[in-house]
Amino acid sequence: MSSLALMRWLESAPERYDSGMRLLTLGRVSALHDTLARTAVSAEGSHVLEIGCGTGSVTRLLVQRGARVTALDQNPEMLEQARRRLADASPGRAELIEQTACEIDTLPDSHYDAVVASLSLSEMSRSERAFVLREARRRLRPGGLLVVGDEVVPHRKLHRFVHSALRAPQALLGWLLTGSVSHPIPDLVHELRQAGMEICGEQRWLLAGLAVVTARRKP
Amino acid sequence: MNKSLRRTTDLMRDVLQTAFRLLPWPCEPGLREVGNPGPDSPVVVTGNYDLTVRRVTRALAGCDVWLVVAPSAGINVWCAASGGHLGSHQVVTALKTSGIEQRVGHRRAVLPQLAATGVVAREVSHRCGWKVRFGPVYAADLPRYLAAQGTKDETMRRVRFDWSERLQMAATWAAPSGLIMAALAAPFRPHWILPLAALAAALSLAIFFLYDRMPSPRGLLLAGASVGVALASVWSADGSAGALWTALLAPPALLALLTVDYSGSTPIAGGSHFEERGWHIVLDSERCRGVFSCFEVCPEACFERREEPRRAVHALPDRCIRCGACVVQCPLDALRFEDEDGVRIEPETIRRYKLNLLGKRAVDAGEGPSAPAASGT
Repeated sequence: MSSLALMRWLESAPERYDSGMRLLTLGRVSALHDTLARTAVSAEGSHVLEIGCGTGSVTRLLVQRGARVTALDQNPEMLEQARRRLADASPGRAELIEQTACEIDTLPDSHYDAVVASLSLSEMSRSERAFVLREARRRLRPGGLLVVGDEVVPHRKLHRFVHSALRAPQALLGWLLTGSVSHPIPDLVHELRQAGMEICGEQRWLLAGLAVVTARRKP
Repeated sequence: MNKSLRRTTDLMRDVLQTAFRLLPWPCEPGLREVGNPGPDSPVVVTGNYDLTVRRVTRALAGCDVWLVVAPSAGINVWCAASGGHLGSHQVVTALKTSGIEQRVGHRRAVLPQLAATGVVAREVSHRCGWKVRFGPVYAADLPRYLAAQGTKDETMRRVRFDWSERLQMAATWAAPSGLIMAALAAPFRPHWILPLAALAAALSLAIFFLYDRMPSPRGLLLAGASVGVALASVWSADGSAGALWTALLAPPALLALLTVDYSGSTPIAGGSHFEERGWHIVLDSERCRGVFSCFEVCPEACFERREEPRRAVHALPDRCIRCGACVVQCPLDALRFEDEDGVRIEPETIRRYKLNLLGKRAVDAGEGPSAPAASGT
């Protein structure tokens, strides 16, 4: 039955998420993940909070770099994929919790060396993102880093034009491939500043449509 | 924007989003004010399907209400709740981050009844302290429900599927299938574009107005598809490139159109995959203590309330459409799905994976050795 085939396709989105993201970002997602993990883990044993760990790609890299990770995701099926991926990485170094991003306010204050969010903020509404960034700042110890890797709206006019022209087909393809609906963040740097963070650096890929922004909680 | 322009763009959005309802149409989640709500005004929650938000806002005209739009991936409430896109997590997120907590003095919210397949009321309360109740099925009944201080009569609890809903569902299927058929015809037989689009519209109308009036709808649809394919093959057998194109594309196009699970777009024979596998609702009367959450959320009013002993009875099982809302909500786990051989799907599995047990998981649940979704009795 054709509808059953469609249903199975949509349902298997968590299994397809990684390959789907690689295809949609023309492979740049790996560079984004590497940059996130490299920036977030300053020393062996750093305690990192990951918001929206999805299938655990970044979680695994963080653990491999010696971090202890507390990772949240609200999707149980994504967490199943993450558990599978982390099974052979250092056991006991990552704690996976089924929770929404907005429930980070239940975690201890001024506790983590870094907070990481990979491709999760663009799936949130503006009000949710503002709440999560504000609470993320509180979870960081003074001087701790908030490292965000996500889809963003490019600065330059030409890039913005190409970006918006490709947006509709890309969104449809993204939904079919990964089952997720994302909205590129218009001004991530501004939103991080609004949350009380100090910007340390920014790196962009894919006609500046994919960015990693690093910000610090002022000591 | 002036009023008439706004009305025109709203109408255009209504038409477009009805015709392509199979795609997600997200709007920005968050808090909206209807009328002049204050700290004691009711809080109504819905999903971020653009069409729904406009309809709910229109239905609430004249009331002073806070409308909290939860992220449901741009999908309508029932589909999103049953497919895992509108659950407790999304409602908790909306209640915590929309700013509603700073605007009202109470912590009570009304959810659409059809969200009961996904949102677990007590989990929302546990996670963020809000008490949620399932309101009426239809947004149009919200003012009456709010005026009655949150009591529902049977008309507010039941899904209807009247002619206007049938027409909308027919349009939902006619638009994309008509476009696909027209696009397939365009390269070689452009003169077929209009007739094929009209055929798609006629078939969709016929299916949605006759589906529950046909003795064996799926058999008839398949027979119709076979005849259609045979006719297309004979009609186009002139040896040209166009004929080859038709011969290659007509069978899959017709079969795809005619074997789509239309029942998934109706509340008549919902969950037909469950039906095929013989899954049905079992009420364990030993466990039931008469909480009656099943009674409140069943969109077909299959349950009856009995006193002495106080318990629910699955009185009209033939009406059950296997939506799973009763299983998800029962705090005592007195309800579950079971197949004819007694294989069960535990309530917690339905709460966790929703009705996503229909496709890939259906195989795991019933046949796979690992059987993550079900356990034998």
